[in-house]
Amino acid sequence: MAANNPFPLSRDALLGCYRRMRTIREFEDRLHIDFGRGDIPGFVHLYAGEEAAAVGIMSHLGDGDRIASTHRGHGHCIAKGVDVGAMMKEIYGRKGGSCEGKGGSMHIADLSKGMMGANGILGAGAPLVCGAALAAKFRGKGEIAICFVGDGASNQGTFLESLNLAAIWNLPALFVVENNGYAESTSRDYATAVNSYVDRASGFGLPGVVVDGTDFFAVHEAAGEIIRRAREGGGPSLLECKMVRFHGHFEGDAQTYRANGELEDLRANHDCLKKLAAQLTSAGVASAAELADIDRQVLALIEQAVVDAKAAPLPSAADLLTDVYVKY
Amino acid sequence: MSNPASGNPCVGIIANPVSARDVRRVIANASTLQLTDRVNIILRALAALRALGVRQVLMMPDKVGISSLLLRGLARERTLGNAMPDVAFLTMEITSSAEDTRCAVRLMRAAGVCSILVLGGDGTHRAVVRELYLGSTADAPRIPIAGLSTGTNNAFPEMRESTVTALAVGLHATGRIPAERALAGNKLLEIDVNGGAIRDIAIVDAAVAFDRFIGARAMWKPDNLHSLFLAFGEPTAVGLSAIGGLLQPVSPRAPGGLAIRFGDGRAGSAGAIELTVPFAPGLIRSVQIAAWTAIEAGQALPVDLPGGSMALDGERELVFAEGDAVTVTLRENAFPTVDVPGCLHFAAQHGLFRHPATSQ
Ligand SMILES: Cc1ncc(C[n+]2csc(CCOP(=O)(O)OP(=O)(O)O)c2C)c(N)n1
Ligand SMILES: [Mg+2]
Repeated sequence: MAANNPFPLSRDALLGCYRRMRTIREFEDRLHIDFGRGDIPGFVHLYAGEEAAAVGIMSHLGDGDRIASTHRGHGHCIAKGVDVGAMMKEIYGRKGGSCEGKGGSMHIADLSKGMMGANGILGAGAPLVCGAALAAKFRGKGEIAICFVGDGASNQGTFLESLNLAAIWNLPALFVVENNGYAESTSRDYATAVNSYVDRASGFGLPGVVVDGTDFFAVHEAAGEIIRRAREGGGPSLLECKMVRFHGHFEGDAQTYRANGELEDLRANHDCLKKLAAQLTSAGVASAAELADIDRQVLALIEQAVVDAKAAPLPSAADLLTDVYVKY
Repeated sequence: MSNPASGNPCVGIIANPVSARDVRRVIANASTLQLTDRVNIILRALAALRALGVRQVLMMPDKVGISSLLLRGLARERTLGNAMPDVAFLTMEITSSAEDTRCAVRLMRAAGVCSILVLGGDGTHRAVVRELYLGSTADAPRIPIAGLSTGTNNAFPEMRESTVTALAVGLHATGRIPAERALAGNKLLEIDVNGGAIRDIAIVDAAVAFDRFIGARAMWKPDNLHSLFLAFGEPTAVGLSAIGGLLQPVSPRAPGGLAIRFGDGRAGSAGAIELTVPFAPGLIRSVQIAAWTAIEAGQALPVDLPGGSMALDGERELVFAEGDAVTVTLRENAFPTVDVPGCLHFAAQHGLFRHPATSQ
């Protein structure tokens, strides 16, 4: 880091991160509208508000690093580089989708990008990540695997068992607890006996770190150190990102469990995109006009993805019998 | 033990549930004090306060687990018949940020607490003192604090068993020790941006860094440092104040402070000396020192970096840009703390813990 570049990333990389965060926001906000219109089959859980965590962490990864996502997975997919057009088709249940339109929102996967899949089963990604991290350890190329888990899902036995497994095998694994304060409508304070994920990690001998998940630089910086340690053989860690979700648990959630004015406050004062934009413009890294230009391009990209998804054919009955077994 | 006339003293407790949680856990094996341990520290302090006759305690609430675990612990103590003060949680909006600490201090001040027991690292103590110092009028009574170290770098709070600290707090709160013997004055650094547009404080160290972002807050990269102001720095410290402590120590009670200018090792221009310091727990690093000088109270010293950030007591807190006028001023006797060893020596000298033998 030089005195004349006061950020840990180049200008291009910073603008790239801003673009990814904006893409996630626009993607999710568009799904919010389209789902409300009844255009989309199945269920969607939106990641809007939480973008800084996915992008802050994924900005340290390459395609050889693997992640296991959650039911709220669109942000992880976009941050990991999955094609937005294919994602949109998948969510619309169309051919040409990431899984040929047969999986939907909670099954988007793209192994070529190291994205092992969203997952409808809470906590199910954690053991998968232990497997991926073990494979990475054997490959010996310094690759790592990351498990994302919500505050609610962190109470699943699979998650705790995986912390244990990762510790005894000293796996290059990172467990990211995305703490948005709620599991569906159940507040975290009610449902978790000891409200500290770091304490849980310590119980298995893993170090744990807490960051403000609405601050891109906070996530990026902490994740950078943790990931470097894992790549160099230092073993697993846990990272808790405190974050906020802007939409309901699922689309159609009336959110009666929220306090009065909570959402307005979150959107006004805890919006990770607004924060990043302010940091970049006030330090003179980018002008407001440049960011607005990126916003326009992203909007056009999402609009095109929706047009293409709607135009794509539905899977046929014959497609049901493809992609069922893997050939070795 | 008799309780001299002092009304019904109330003590405030502010326990930071998220101190000792930053990235230094993975960088240097810094300690992670578990919530259950923090709650046990509080329970021990409560038992000591109650033994000295403090019946009322006001606590900052939180959503991270201290309050819920403490309530469980207090219910257990009640069931077991152990005397504890009445613990009331402040009614306030919980933001899970440093704002909670500031809000709790305001409410505790309004409630007239005798003192505030603080659990946290330097940063938590700074947040409490900041509100007490910047948020009160000159003629308002000064509320003393007593610190318990549960953070990463603890240059300010002393490492001490909470039972003992709480005994000192209880002796003071119940009026058994006169204030001039129970309390000590402390220095701090006042930070001013653009003639009062932003005012802040540091109770140990204010570091000027090249970063223009707050990021993960903690400081662990020596080459990010431009300069450093110290209210005090002891050779036994760990963290930024250890730089002064190993260069030219200044004790917390001595007048004056220290200013240090780092060499720009990154640009290849060698500093005057290289100093090896415990930069963070478990992290021994070299820093390039260009110059250092003692500073006097009351002088507004300019920060001569056009744009960067300031770390206050070890955490990046504010970002400034070209054209911002930033100054640092040392203040002496700026806020009182409970002098724990002083109180207990006084108690021993005056037989405050002696009683006539009870007949069996
Ligand atoms: C094993 C399992 N149990 C229950 C559910 C139903 N379910 C779906 S999402 C959810 C809440 C998850 O909360 P959290 O882990 O905090 O993630 P968030 O939705 O907040 O991102 C529940 C209970 C499920 N999908 N899988
Ligand atoms: Mg949640």
